Amino acid sequence: MDTNGKLFRKFLEREEKINNQFSIENAKKQHSKGKLSAVERIELLFDKDTFEEIDAFVIPAPLTTSFGKITEAYGDGVIVGYGKVSGRLVFAYAQDFTVMGGSLGSVHAQKINKIQQMALKMGAPIVGLIDSGGARIQEGIASLAGYAMIFKHNVHASGVIPQISVIMGPAAGGAVYSPALTDFVFMTNKTSYMFVTGPNVVKEVLNEEVTNDELGGAEVHSKKSGVSQMMYEDEEHTIQGVRKLLTYIPSNNVVNPPVVLNPEETPDYNERLRDVVPDDPNKPYDVKEVINLLMDVDSFFEISENYAQNIVVGFGRLKGQTIGIVANQPKVLAGTIDINSSIKAARFIRFCDAFNIPILTLEDVPGFLPGVDQEHMGIIRHGAKMLYAYTEATVPKITVIMRKSYGGAYIVMNSKNIGGDFNYAWPTAEIAVMGPDGAVAVLYRRELESSEDPDALKKELIKTYRDEIANPYIADEKGYIDEVIDPAVTRKKLIVSFEALQNKHVARPAKKHGNIPL
Amino acid sequence: MAIKSLLIVNRGEIAIRIARTCKKMGIETWGIKTSNEPRAHYLSHMDKIYDMSDEFSDVLVFLDVERLITIVEETGVDAVHPGYGFLSENAYFAQRCVIAGVKFIGPTPDAIHKMGNKTVARQIATKNNIPLASGTTHSIRDAEEAKEIADKIGYPVIIKAASGGGGRGMRIIHKAEELAQMFRLATNEAEKAFNDPSVFIEKYIQNPKHIEFQILADKFGNTIHLGERECSIQRKHQKLLEEAPSPALTEELRKTMGEIAIKISQAVKYESAGTVEFLLDQSNNFYFMEMNTRIQVEHPVTEFITGLDLIEQQIRIAQGEELKLKQEDVKLNGWAIECRINAEDVQAGFSPYLGTIEKMVQPTGDNIRVDSGIVEGDTISPNFDSMVAKLIVWGADRNEAIRETKKALAKFWIKGLKTTIPFFKIVLENESFRCGTFNTGFIENELESMHDTSEEEEALAAWFAALKYAEEREKEETNQVDFEQGKNINPWVLNKRLKSF
Repeated sequence: MDTNGKLFRKFLEREEKINNQFSIENAKKQHSKGKLSAVERIELLFDKDTFEEIDAFVIPAPLTTSFGKITEAYGDGVIVGYGKVSGRLVFAYAQDFTVMGGSLGSVHAQKINKIQQMALKMGAPIVGLIDSGGARIQEGIASLAGYAMIFKHNVHASGVIPQISVIMGPAAGGAVYSPALTDFVFMTNKTSYMFVTGPNVVKEVLNEEVTNDELGGAEVHSKKSGVSQMMYEDEEHTIQGVRKLLTYIPSNNVVNPPVVLNPEETPDYNERLRDVVPDDPNKPYDVKEVINLLMDVDSFFEISENYAQNIVVGFGRLKGQTIGIVANQPKVLAGTIDINSSIKAARFIRFCDAFNIPILTLEDVPGFLPGVDQEHMGIIRHGAKMLYAYTEATVPKITVIMRKSYGGAYIVMNSKNIGGDFNYAWPTAEIAVMGPDGAVAVLYRRELESSEDPDALKKELIKTYRDEIANPYIADEKGYIDEVIDPAVTRKKLIVSFEALQNKHVARPAKKHGNIPL
Repeated sequence: MAIKSLLIVNRGEIAIRIARTCKKMGIETWGIKTSNEPRAHYLSHMDKIYDMSDEFSDVLVFLDVERLITIVEETGVDAVHPGYGFLSENAYFAQRCVIAGVKFIGPTPDAIHKMGNKTVARQIATKNNIPLASGTTHSIRDAEEAKEIADKIGYPVIIKAASGGGGRGMRIIHKAEELAQMFRLATNEAEKAFNDPSVFIEKYIQNPKHIEFQILADKFGNTIHLGERECSIQRKHQKLLEEAPSPALTEELRKTMGEIAIKISQAVKYESAGTVEFLLDQSNNFYFMEMNTRIQVEHPVTEFITGLDLIEQQIRIAQGEELKLKQEDVKLNGWAIECRINAEDVQAGFSPYLGTIEKMVQPTGDNIRVDSGIVEGDTISPNFDSMVAKLIVWGADRNEAIRETKKALAKFWIKGLKTTIPFFKIVLENESFRCGTFNTGFIENELESMHDTSEEEEALAAWFAALKYAEEREKEETNQVDFEQGKNINPWVLNKRLKSF
């Protein structure tokens, strides 16, 4: 490089300066907090040596007031660029907490905006690695405008390209709304937190002592608030989780999801499926066992595992093809639908629908969760979200009724008449307006009251009800079910049916957008 | 009458311990196979098994008096050994055994009853001039009465459940203001735990030592003591490490306390093996606390320094034999330490750590004894206590015993579970433990860290984590994900899809 020394001197100086900026010393500041540096995170996210950075040398906007100061550093506290994840183009930005606490200045925001726009133009997923103290106070309104631009691009890209937010440090104040607008929020346990108002404000206003972690840690958001879908114990696994999720989802809303070429298949014929559902209709079982028996080996990737556990959602693969799964979980709250589970499922269904991912529904639902709490908090409005999402979805939709399927919950869980393409039932299915106990109590109240032995009569009536009404055969004969199938052949059936549905298209009336009951 | 067959109404290590002595004495043993652990290791040590693994009940059979009596009748055994825990200190069960015509290995139902109720025990102690922490000898009616008494004896005081044990129904009160609330909490807790809300009050002795004397007594009124055990290393009244003898006792104090222990045993016409527990304060004042009318978990340390088999002694006394040993023949030889290796997460406040023992290597040696009811592949379940093994080590003196225990702990290796082993390593290094001045406040006051970690361990853990992560990452990469196929969309659907936007 000496030959052209004059021209390259400046170039080399800058290179040296930026290398110093991202030195090992710098990374150590993060390591001491159990976190990785922005550079290390980018390296983990992308395939080896594929990341191309842009705008590495931009400098922060100069201050126009005398309040505070700005640290001179290249990049203004954020790394942006693109590279390959499992061989596919992905855009990303990573905030650098070591530069002014990762605070968002106007230049910092412009860089993120630039990469958001590029991702949208290219129809490629975007991943945000967030570790920021929030708006840069010194820059004032310019910083807020920066956030506004990021939010706007988040909304524009919503449903067009997959957007993933990974919280790896603080995300406070308005900053939390960018992750909230994206499709998936990942968090690392103990080192990341998000809240709209922090512990200091809570202390001042309500005089309640609370730590960052208690107020908005990963556990809180993945178990209680549902803000975060994925939680991992360390940053390495968090990023590995993002890479894994990306293998299930397409680059944009035009193409189909990726396919695994060498899937490890589970048996097409599996007698174990006949025994998973216990003979006793009140006995719980783990629906995840059913999912694992039906999907390719180890392919089930659960979303929101710790939140509203009475419904299980996630991605799986059938012969390498991505499938979105929504399943009632009899193990938790007997698999009833409550407000949280409805919201969780509705959001997942809408993601699948936006990105051409077929949906499999595994149903064992005794009904909506009863209670004053649920009614007063609006289960009518929130339960309608799931109904809306299922009905609106135009991707291939298949339902397998494993056991209970009662009342309004039957309708909601992708029933034939709201648009299920293929609806199957196992012989153990019970499809009716309500469960045997309820039905007998309503229809035979007087007889039971006047009976000498009401218990015996009740037992008798329940048996008759089960034999004559609460079974899959009436629905089958009337065409509300396409077929009652042997559980052992379910996987085979699903593969064939989803294949038949792969070119499904439904024309909807033209509209700006629907009005989902929010 | 000689005992020819014996039913062990217990499980785990103590069932095996009892069976071992029975084998030596030529007594046929019966064990009970339960539905909770039909493949448990202790069953392999029994001569005969009473199989009830197909019976499912909410109440564990070892706590079900009626069911046990039917087993006694069906098996036709001569005697029943209750071990520790479960029904070992249940006077009703002992009584039912007597009525059923079998020998209950332990004291008479009357002695169990008297010592089992703490207010009765306090009354007996008072009558016999046994030193007691000042307090009440009857149960307290209400918070007002409690306050009156507490004001008289001075704070701090402790409220204890009359039928209690294991720290439940127990509350320490430092100030008069706390009394009413604590009284309520203690009675509620006692009612829940023991079905008996009655409580009593005594002066709370701060940071005492816990010293207990092993007693042997026959039917002829011969009563001797086998020296003391030091059990001050406790957490919330759960003993963790015991030793015999105690570094705190002089020969003179041992003699005085031993005589008092014998005296209270004789006051209830005690027979069989028993333990008299004392609190010893910093000025060497001692107070009778309670008597345990059973064989104790920590009995092996006494066996090590006396050369006796306590289970054998219990059986011989139950057979009506006279104690051959006189007090002057009892010689304490050397030092023994017992560590209770529990499956517990010490850092998480000693919470039980449930899981499966993947691998276990126990130390061996002439002066090492490991009593365990668990083998590789067994699981620690929430149904039973979390004890994995008891490690008992003997040395010629205390220093040697500590040294040898450390060596033994280093060789004790358990994979698959978190255990108290690293905790004991740090206890044995502790200065206050080594010089013997520790008391029951040891864990709260003396230990800076609950856990022993070596640099080597940390480096290994880091290396292991890195390797694991690399493996996981590699495994993920084996999927050949193809993004191109997703772009081959049938024109039928592609055209419509694009138009619908």
